[in-house]
Amino acid sequence: MNAANLQKAQELVHRFPKKSSALIPILHLVEDEFGYIPEAEVQTVADVMGVTPAYVESVLTFYTLFHRQPTGKYLVQVCRGLSCQLNGADELSHFLHDELGVQRNGTTDDGLFTVEEVECIALCKDAPAVQINLEFYPRMTKEQLKAFLDQAAKEVTSGA
Amino acid sequence: MPETRLLFKNIDVPGIDGIDVYEQHGGYVSLRKAVLDMTPDAVVQEVMASNLRGRGGAGFPTGRKWSFLPKDGRTRYLVCNADESEPGTCKDQELIYRIPHLLIEGVLTSAYAIGAEDAFIYLRGEFKGGYRILERAIAEARAKGYLGENVLGSGRRIEVNLYLGAGAYICGEETALLESLEGRRGMPRLKPPFPATAGLYGMPTVVNNVETLSAVVPILQMGGAEYAKLGTERSAGTKLFSVSGNVRRPGNFEVELGKVTLRELLYDLAGGPPEGHEFKAVIPGGSSVPFLTPDKFDTPLDYESLQGAGTMLGSGGVIVLDDRACIVNATLRLMEFYRHESCGKCTPCREGTMWLNQVLQRVESGEGRPGDIETLADLCSNIDGQTFCPLGDAAIGALGSGLRLFHDEYEAHITKGGCPMGEVVR
Ligand SMILES: Cc1cc2nc3c(=O)[nH]c(=O)nc-3n(C[C@H](O)[C@H](O)[C@H](O)COP(=O)(O)O)c2cc1C
Ligand code: SF4
Ligand code: FES
Repeated sequence: MNAANLQKAQELVHRFPKKSSALIPILHLVEDEFGYIPEAEVQTVADVMGVTPAYVESVLTFYTLFHRQPTGKYLVQVCRGLSCQLNGADELSHFLHDELGVQRNGTTDDGLFTVEEVECIALCKDAPAVQINLEFYPRMTKEQLKAFLDQAAKEVTSGA
Repeated sequence: MPETRLLFKNIDVPGIDGIDVYEQHGGYVSLRKAVLDMTPDAVVQEVMASNLRGRGGAGFPTGRKWSFLPKDGRTRYLVCNADESEPGTCKDQELIYRIPHLLIEGVLTSAYAIGAEDAFIYLRGEFKGGYRILERAIAEARAKGYLGENVLGSGRRIEVNLYLGAGAYICGEETALLESLEGRRGMPRLKPPFPATAGLYGMPTVVNNVETLSAVVPILQMGGAEYAKLGTERSAGTKLFSVSGNVRRPGNFEVELGKVTLRELLYDLAGGPPEGHEFKAVIPGGSSVPFLTPDKFDTPLDYESLQGAGTMLGSGGVIVLDDRACIVNATLRLMEFYRHESCGKCTPCREGTMWLNQVLQRVESGEGRPGDIETLADLCSNIDGQTFCPLGDAAIGALGSGLRLFHDEYEAHITKGGCPMGEVVR
């Protein structure tokens, strides 16, 4: 963790009536900083929390938003819940995988995009729904997705 | 058939997410009234009189739940369940993102009523945007003296703590939620003891849904007795229904319980089926409940009537399927969800959802074998009532009824070697 996050983590340990509650918020700090939970950070988190790395591991593997492998700069999550599926989620998902040339739940070679199919994200009335880095994108179309991908790729090549 | 808006009354007002506009529209009047003019017990009595039932799914009377807290001087906690992960349900999301102060006021008022100094709002990990919105609302409320060390000069301390989950449907189950909030894997706890006696950190705890706690605000505004006049005797008040799937105007609609039929919700409020199509079936209470077919569409939307029709009101997530939808495909999709979300603690659910998924998969893809429908029914009955927590029963809600109501569709997949409707068009 960088110094700022390490300090935040140390503060979190005292934030709740019981120390144990700090673990998930601290794992969020790590996930946000690295885009996943690197092996070395499991040890750091364990040290801050005063628990074993195995314990940290056992908790983080329970939750789908904590990744064990690096994710792209943009984590694009397509809802495959029933309401979204009834509104064309499959088509969106195929389009995205084809466009980026990745397997299901894969990351592009340039590390820019990770595509995941996820369960209902509570935007059912705005199906089909997508979230990108946990920001909601309601009523998505292929055209909008394409525009997003192009824009994101352009920003990166122009060094923004 | 109009909506009856209490929670959604001001949701379309521009700027209602900010505290000034919220106050201009009657915001924080209920909290003031509670903290400055009423004893905590009097607030509990008002909620009791309102007949409000929990809006998270189970429909347990809220006032009664509050009254179970032991009067033994131990620290008490209020936990707001904002995990909203039941497929088809998106009402709490809209409340949090669009009118966050309503929830904050509801949480503060309820915390005052039950004597909790610390309230927690447990948000599903995907509500990171909602977390930021609530964070800002809390800061605004603090600046106005509505929360903190000395609420409205009353000498009472009430703090609202936000907590972000990390992706797990089961954490919506209240004891799994508490486990998660304590930093562990979100696996359900054995009940009893119930959270009222041993909840968060082992202390007496009330867990309530976002919509439930938000409803406390209009209840105090109008008085519990007035609120109880809305709806029916046993299903009082208004309820948010999320309508999604194959429908012309999907959305969240607030209606008086028992005063609106499913047909009115689907046609008058949600605009009917998409052009050129007919409704085929509805799952009315989130993905965990049995299907209703169009012959039952005149059922009034309340807890008792829906139960009488063989299903449940649940979370109010109404998933609509039209004549293009394949029931086998839909129930497979739901079973994949439950298999993925089973926490693995008990065998009937862990193994049962895995096998159901496998058999359904082959039926759906046209590789079903004679006897597979019986196998599916058998697997369902091995889960029914046999699991550690209600997720097991939830997993077979739609499938069990689908096998009965749409038996021919499952049969046809096996005899014809695939979906008789051809490639499902979406
Ligand atoms: C598998 C499962 C998932 C649940 N998910 C939620 C949820 O996302 N939100 C919620 O409020 N209640 C959920 N519940 C219900 C809670 O356990 C609990 O009954 C509810 O939070 C109580 O609040 P209420 O009385 O205000 O409804 C779920 C229950 C089960 C068994
Ligand atoms: S029923 Fe399923 S989710 Fe519930 S405890 Fe058993 S395995 Fe876990
Ligand atoms: S089904 Fe996609 S958001 Fe609920």
